[in-house]
Amino acid sequence: MVPLLFRRHNFLKTLLIMKLTTALLFLTCLQVSANDAFSQTSITLKLQSTELKKALTIIERKSSYRFLYNEETVKAGTKVDVDAINTPVTEILDKLFANRLLSYKILANNLVVITGKDMEVTETKVTGKITSSLGEILPGVSVKVKGSTLGTQTDAAGNFALTVPDNAVLVFSYVGYESQEIAVGGRTSITVSLVASTQKMDEVVVIGYGVANKRDLTGSIAKVSGKDIADKPNTNPVASLQGRVAGLSVVNSGTPGRAPDIRIRGTSSIGNKTPLYVVDGIFNDNIDYINPNDIESIEVLKDPSSLAIFGVRGATGVIAITTKKAKAGQTIVNFNTSFGFKKLVDKIKFVDAEGFKTLFAEERANDITNPTTAPFDYTGLNANTDWINAVTRTAHFNNNNLSVSGSTEKNRFNFGLGYTSDEGIIKNEKLTKMLLSFSDEFKVSKHIKIGLNLNSFRQNNPYDATAVLDDARKVIPQVSAGTRLFKTANPYGGDSIMSNLYSGLDVGLQSSGVVNPLLRVEREWDKIINIEYRNVGSIYGEVNFLKNFTFRSTVYADISTVNKRQYTPLYYAYNPKNDIPYLYSQSTNLQEDDQTYRKFQQDHVLTFKKNFGDHSVTATGGFTTYYFGNFNRTGKVSQRPSNLAGVPIPDDKRFWYLSNGFEDPTTTSGSSSQNEYSTVSYLARVLYNFKGKYYLNGSFRNDASSRIPEKNRNQKFWAIGAAWDVSREDFMHNQHIFDFLKVKASIGVLGNQTASRLDGTPLNYPFYPNLTSGSNAVFGTNVVSAATQEYIANPELKWETVDAKEIGVELNAFQNRLHFEGNYFIRTTKNLMTFVDRSVLGLKNELVNGGSLKNWGEEFTASWTQNFSKDLTLNIGGNITFTKNKVLTLAEDLPAGFLSRASQNNGSAESRTQPGLPIGSFYGYEVEGLYQSYADILKSPSAAALGAYRPGDFKFRDVNGDGIISADDRTVIGNPTPDFAYGGSISLTYKGLSLGVDVVGVYGNEIFRTWGSLESPFQRVNYSAEKLNRWHGEGTSNWVPILGQGDRFNYNGSTYNIEDGSYFRIRNVQLGYSFPRPMLSKAKIKDLRIFVNVQNMKTFKNNLGYTTEYGGDATSFGYDNGGGAIPVVMTGGLNITF
Amino acid sequence: MKKYKMLTLTLLLAIPMLVSVVGCKKFLDRKPLQSTLDDLNQGALEGQVLGMYNILRTYAGFSTLPFLDFHSIRDDDAAKGSDINDGKEVVTEFDTYQYSKDDWAPNTYWNDRYTMINSANIALHTADSLKVTDPASLRNIGEACFFRAHSYFELVKTYGDVPLLKSQIVVPSDGVKPKSTTGEIYAFIDSNLQVAANYLPVTADEYGPGFKGRLTKGAANTLWAQTYLFRQNWARVIALSNQVIASAQYSLPTFPTVWKDGTNGDGKNGPESVWEMNAWVGANGQSNGKVNNGSGWGTCQNVRQNGATNDWNLGWGWNVPTQNLVDAWDDTDPRKRQTILYSGQSDGGPSQGGYGATLPNYTTPDGAGGLAQKYWNKKVYSDPAMRQFTGFVNANGAAEWINHRILRYADVILMLAEASNEMNDGVTAAANLEKIRDRASGFLGATRTVLPKIAFVSQAQMRTAIKNERRFEFAMEGYRFYDLVRWGDAVSVLNGLGYTNRCRYYPIPQKAIDLSGGVLKQNPEW
Repeated sequence: MVPLLFRRHNFLKTLLIMKLTTALLFLTCLQVSANDAFSQTSITLKLQSTELKKALTIIERKSSYRFLYNEETVKAGTKVDVDAINTPVTEILDKLFANRLLSYKILANNLVVITGKDMEVTETKVTGKITSSLGEILPGVSVKVKGSTLGTQTDAAGNFALTVPDNAVLVFSYVGYESQEIAVGGRTSITVSLVASTQKMDEVVVIGYGVANKRDLTGSIAKVSGKDIADKPNTNPVASLQGRVAGLSVVNSGTPGRAPDIRIRGTSSIGNKTPLYVVDGIFNDNIDYINPNDIESIEVLKDPSSLAIFGVRGATGVIAITTKKAKAGQTIVNFNTSFGFKKLVDKIKFVDAEGFKTLFAEERANDITNPTTAPFDYTGLNANTDWINAVTRTAHFNNNNLSVSGSTEKNRFNFGLGYTSDEGIIKNEKLTKMLLSFSDEFKVSKHIKIGLNLNSFRQNNPYDATAVLDDARKVIPQVSAGTRLFKTANPYGGDSIMSNLYSGLDVGLQSSGVVNPLLRVEREWDKIINIEYRNVGSIYGEVNFLKNFTFRSTVYADISTVNKRQYTPLYYAYNPKNDIPYLYSQSTNLQEDDQTYRKFQQDHVLTFKKNFGDHSVTATGGFTTYYFGNFNRTGKVSQRPSNLAGVPIPDDKRFWYLSNGFEDPTTTSGSSSQNEYSTVSYLARVLYNFKGKYYLNGSFRNDASSRIPEKNRNQKFWAIGAAWDVSREDFMHNQHIFDFLKVKASIGVLGNQTASRLDGTPLNYPFYPNLTSGSNAVFGTNVVSAATQEYIANPELKWETVDAKEIGVELNAFQNRLHFEGNYFIRTTKNLMTFVDRSVLGLKNELVNGGSLKNWGEEFTASWTQNFSKDLTLNIGGNITFTKNKVLTLAEDLPAGFLSRASQNNGSAESRTQPGLPIGSFYGYEVEGLYQSYADILKSPSAAALGAYRPGDFKFRDVNGDGIISADDRTVIGNPTPDFAYGGSISLTYKGLSLGVDVVGVYGNEIFRTWGSLESPFQRVNYSAEKLNRWHGEGTSNWVPILGQGDRFNYNGSTYNIEDGSYFRIRNVQLGYSFPRPMLSKAKIKDLRIFVNVQNMKTFKNNLGYTTEYGGDATSFGYDNGGGAIPVVMTGGLNITF
Repeated sequence: MKKYKMLTLTLLLAIPMLVSVVGCKKFLDRKPLQSTLDDLNQGALEGQVLGMYNILRTYAGFSTLPFLDFHSIRDDDAAKGSDINDGKEVVTEFDTYQYSKDDWAPNTYWNDRYTMINSANIALHTADSLKVTDPASLRNIGEACFFRAHSYFELVKTYGDVPLLKSQIVVPSDGVKPKSTTGEIYAFIDSNLQVAANYLPVTADEYGPGFKGRLTKGAANTLWAQTYLFRQNWARVIALSNQVIASAQYSLPTFPTVWKDGTNGDGKNGPESVWEMNAWVGANGQSNGKVNNGSGWGTCQNVRQNGATNDWNLGWGWNVPTQNLVDAWDDTDPRKRQTILYSGQSDGGPSQGGYGATLPNYTTPDGAGGLAQKYWNKKVYSDPAMRQFTGFVNANGAAEWINHRILRYADVILMLAEASNEMNDGVTAAANLEKIRDRASGFLGATRTVLPKIAFVSQAQMRTAIKNERRFEFAMEGYRFYDLVRWGDAVSVLNGLGYTNRCRYYPIPQKAIDLSGGVLKQNPEW
């Protein structure tokens, strides 16, 4: 289907249909006439006693002529009359100028130069090239003749051509750069080098429901350019933001496509912590569907004055994505591709076969109740497998994108196609994705434009490999990872077959929760078809009226379906102890899942923009609704070979459907789950400034949500911000250090839409509790469904709010070489929506409001640009964020006064959220050392309250000093939130060659490691290499305890599990080369760049795990459960533009 | 012209706004797309009560390891089982009485009972607010009261003083209560069982067809009798036992048939059954969760494979008979082979509760090349036909369909015997003891030599005889530990295993104490 689109005919036709549909839709909404004609040389015009200037403006509007004159020439007060019916413009002009001492000359491109009677106009064709001061080509730069509306744009190569009078002044302007005016002065060729505008100050940034010049804002919005994301090997674009923005914490995952754990300015809630994503206006929870190559820019909104317009979704911050739109005045075709490898690094260490044998024998001899020195029988277990190696591989990454964009005066479009193949480092883990994007904007008339955006993808989801690394580390090295040839009965038929079988485990030693991961990875992972389709689109119409008003209506839809068909084949494994094959999977199963969600959003926004003398106002008002619906269905069937009635479902994709003709009808089952919610909101915002020195921003939003009981349904959010551009004051004119200096402050109340359980899973109907599903009573063989309420309804529920404050400064200094921003923020979350979990008391859970927590800190961003010569530029940037977090109070309804999140076999890994402590603090005992002997035990405080103990067990500290070790001696043993996080980048450009290095790091947080210490007592797992240093007699160790699963004393969570989470990582190193243009032009190529990139080149860290990056939910995060490997990714690629 | 255009525009803008404002209320009114309690008849009182049967069946504290740990593994006749490498902490915490304040099994046992109690409280609150008087709702009230009493009885036996939650908790902090005395707990149990005995039907048929195994008056009276047994209120034990007997709903079938759980539900809720935790797995339940309404009860106790062949992967192998039990039990008692499954021997076929299979040999505690235990609990030995029927075979081996026989008629008989003896009615005591022994012999009658009739000689002699009878009749069923404590025999019988007097009560879980913010205090001896 895709190649068809390339055929010009079809493509245009599609385009036409799309345009027509959009136009039709829009016109039915707003009946505004749109009959203006363009490019006419003859017009009909009737004017009476009209200002000459106005008459010219009207002619400009009705024809394709543009006028150029100076104010002196066409004096105010000159009134004219015109009465022309379908008359050539030249004729009208002749009449107009007759007897007025004016003459005119029409240049090429219909520019009409009006001069005094005696003046001579010489026509000049000017061509030129525009680059940035760094030598980058700048396509799409606006080139205008000063005093007229005539102009053009540079093409993709940065060139322009324009016919002008020889005394014209050209104005060059481009977003992000200082405008420049250059008098033509008779020249025919002009080369312009634009200077990046007071660096970031004149940037246009996306704010909610509009865009604004960054200079006009009082808040903190950080912008990341799309080109910094496009060439990074991350399927999920958010992953590339790590270390780039102050105040934005990104904790990445090594799984392809998996969304990172994102927190903006700390953990602002005990429920939801995920920011809101706004993609070209549509609200979303993730941006998986965006092709990183289609991103124009990403803005991170952090402060109250930027966020209040998002109301109840604002508290966790906003990440706004703008996708690419067509720019230049001609067709541009861009193709880029990259290919690379991923490799596991920082592997966690386990003992080998010999090590296991030694340690296991010692543990058996140590056993408290049944010590045995009888050697364990390793018959059949004689391999020495490194299981991590056995399940991992060098994976490939491949990404290809093609984009075509073009524009005419009336229409601009951008079309993109992408294909990504992203393998995980786990065998058979692979994500493939095809993306399509399309945007088009059509000018119906000078005042009306309509457009559409569409992003679609089709994705083959990878098998969930989360458990594989964890499974692999548990298997003892004695088990072979290879296959062996066996003759078995054909499970699908009556004959015998020879096949290669994987080893099962010794069920006597490892059965509970331990499996040979290769059995599933190799035998089942190719039997799953999991395809997701997602289409996110919007159509909009925009009308400008009464000069200063713009009304824009947008309707969005986001529709996704996931169809998953999972087939379980029949397959054998062999018992390593006796070499007998057995049917490991005994029935053929087929499960089919369909998940659909639908999101609809409509925004209607009216904007008023006007300058009154020194006052400048932009006011926005709007109405928006949002609907989310989620509908899931699951069905299952199976067939067993031993079932005489049927034949197993064949291992053939053709039959992987619920009704396949092979299924045993008695096994058919189906179920569904569904929910929906909606919101309705009103919003308003005013951006005001006086003389461009004093700025005031105010915003307001009212949100009503179906998830909140009617009495509290409407909640209001607001913010006010002020800023002072000190550098524009007179007293600053005589200094030469600061080029720009702005101080700012804002304050507001934001909302957090967080109806969720403590683990972050949503409670869709907080005041209409669902019934627990699958709750049945059985009587004999009769099954009756029971009704158990999941939680208690709370009729008083409302959203939690965040009181946010910020003060900050932005400055440029030393001829704009230094840019610096610094902010101090405080965010106090109130009425925390708390899921009170009282299951330990056997009570039902409930969502209540109560308690507050505070996040505060400072963020600093600085960059320095140095041009050593025309060819050599150095740019150094960095940011650092200091965040502190403290729980102030908690809901009075919490029975214990704190929130506990405990995991691992008996809940010994515990995070506490408790007043006075940082959110999710690790809680447990402090290890002073190990008891070295019975004598040592006798002279130490008694720990009998914690159970039986002996030499080699942990010696916990008597924290409260009461002379005994008891549960009261537990204390805070770690904080998962870093003291500070930082990122930095250096880029060096020499002619076409560029080198960029990005680094990231965090400092001062702790990690809770649960592997190698807190495994379930029912599991016999391989020993962590650290256990080689275990205590095995007086003086042998004072840290790693005696081996023994019966020594429950050592299964108390303690500082033994706590590790330093600080790290420093060389995140990206990229070397690129842009070929010189003359060389390329022969091959009709406009641009060609090649690059190599290494991501995660090296991480310096202090813990035993694969990584230091462990996300989680709001109140439980930073746990290292033995997985989470983050690979090194090496890619190379090229980017070519025609 | 201009004005007209503006007016049109304003109107056109205003109309959708107005429409949306009016439509908002409806747009924002969204109820769940599936039933809530409000959508069910009478606040779903019936559904809520059925939910308690679900808790009983699916919550680990009632139906799997934690129950076995507390009730059975703690005594001298049962051990953890499984193999030497599995579940070592249970050996520490239960077999050797080094009780843990913070571990999965003890925490679960506590939590699940309070979950049951609070579910009953909520259901009773619903019943109360609706002021129901119809017979079906009154039965529901009886059921909720029964479940509440049952959980409190287990709590008071296990922990002594515990917090007493009597009503639905509205303000969460009201759920935090200090301990009430055992006297107060028993008084509450009595009032609940009084209601249960009043409202529950004599037979489950009164609920309608398809409710075999649902709570009855007999269950309430039997449980009530048990509570008096623990309070040594012999008169009440006698009165209640006699009521159960007089209801003529129960009888004693041959011993092996009590434990059958066959296809089509044969053997479930048999004539001796006063109350069972009901579990059921339909055809192919292994791969179809919809028809798997099973319980871990059978799975956690069936033969553990270890080094044996795959077809002996029947379960996790917990709760196994000890050598102590085997040695103490006279081989001539037919119940011995009907209760104990021997590794390396035939299962004895149908007459001995078997299916004609021969078990693999016991090898070592590791189970290298064979089984890791010499003896297994035969009372839950899974039927091979059911394994095939459900698909729980080989690598997927399990026994999810087996019912837990919680209250048996034999207990009513033996309670009556014991209480009569304590009330110096040796004749009644001997007569009832004889009913059990005769059945155990296979109904060989008064002239038999197997398990001969024991005549009353003295109260002490009869007391010993009854104690022995309870030990063997109920072996592996989880009666013995609490019987030993109740009789005051626990220290003498169990001290060789590490038991001391303070071990009669388990410490309260640290997590519950933490969550109470210090209101709940640890048991004094712990």
